[in-house]
Amino acid sequence: MSTANQNLTFERLVRPHFDRLYRLAWRLAGQKAEAEDLFQELLIKAYGMLDDLVEKDDPGSWLSRVMYNLFIDEQRRFTRRRMQLVEEGQLGGGGLEGFAGSENPVADNERLDKIRRLDSALDQLSDEHRIVVLLHDTEGYKLKEIEELTGVPVGTVKSRLHRARARLREILIKDGTIS
Amino acid sequence: MHSRDTDRQDQEILELLKDYPMPTADAGFYDQALARATHEGTKRQRNRWMLTGFGAAIAAAVAAWMIGGLLLNDPQLPDAGSTIPGVTIAMEEPRTVNLVFASATALDSATLTVTLPDGIELDGFPGQREISWTTSLKEGRNFLPLTLVALTPAGGELLARLEHDDRDRTFRLRLDVT
Repeated sequence: MSTANQNLTFERLVRPHFDRLYRLAWRLAGQKAEAEDLFQELLIKAYGMLDDLVEKDDPGSWLSRVMYNLFIDEQRRFTRRRMQLVEEGQLGGGGLEGFAGSENPVADNERLDKIRRLDSALDQLSDEHRIVVLLHDTEGYKLKEIEELTGVPVGTVKSRLHRARARLREILIKDGTIS
Repeated sequence: MHSRDTDRQDQEILELLKDYPMPTADAGFYDQALARATHEGTKRQRNRWMLTGFGAAIAAAVAAWMIGGLLLNDPQLPDAGSTIPGVTIAMEEPRTVNLVFASATALDSATLTVTLPDGIELDGFPGQREISWTTSLKEGRNFLPLTLVALTPAGGELLARLEHDDRDRTFRLRLDVT
């Protein structure tokens, strides 16, 4: 296969999954620069495994697993710094604008403050709990999908989810975010 | 057993989690990432078969990166930017790279820590992977010249971490060695 054809094949296989992979990178790394590094590393690695990639029935799931493994293997490199996420105005997808446009700016501010506290609470969870709760409760992954992604059995995923939610509840009650 | 209060609290947490920030990629990021992956992947494939013997020396120092510091809640620290710039240096030839930080305001007593990849040293600091010092940044562009020497062809990423008060930014520079 010529390089040009190889590149086209690669793009055809990976591009449809970019949004999902980008979101996954964020959920794992928790910060823009690290998430984008992770995303980039995934593409470079996947390109080197193009022969494997073309054989996959579900390239998206395969790519997600490769990304997860990259993150686990190089966790220190993709260190997350969650508070920067808040400081850099990444909240709500479009930054604070995501909360604008309401007729009740006071309520918007309260909501934003709660999200900030949630961010801080998430930072207090272990990586395995934080990742499970974000993938399941924020991203809508099914338990089985998390099992396939992480290699952790569904029973353990459920248990982590339960503990993560309980810990979040404890933290958010303590700091007055919920009552 | 969950009480009614616990159920309500869980529901509120779930709603917060559903609202949790969902970033989208900057325009052009996907295309850049794809282009870099195919470029890098092709290069690596080629390198498996060819003995690279480039002896080209690149002489001039190059400014590495600069992004304005317009940050929503933290206007003081310069932004680390979303793409990783890179420079190529020749083996065992000292090369000065000017790191450029653009700060929205003057910063006193900022701590700058430079972390080097294996096989690359700062001239005058043999064997040191991490060098840290306190510095001040003026408003606008600040230049930090670093003279780098590659001892192995591995290359890697140089990290420059800027800390001020409780905040920090990490800047990255990809170093390729020929």
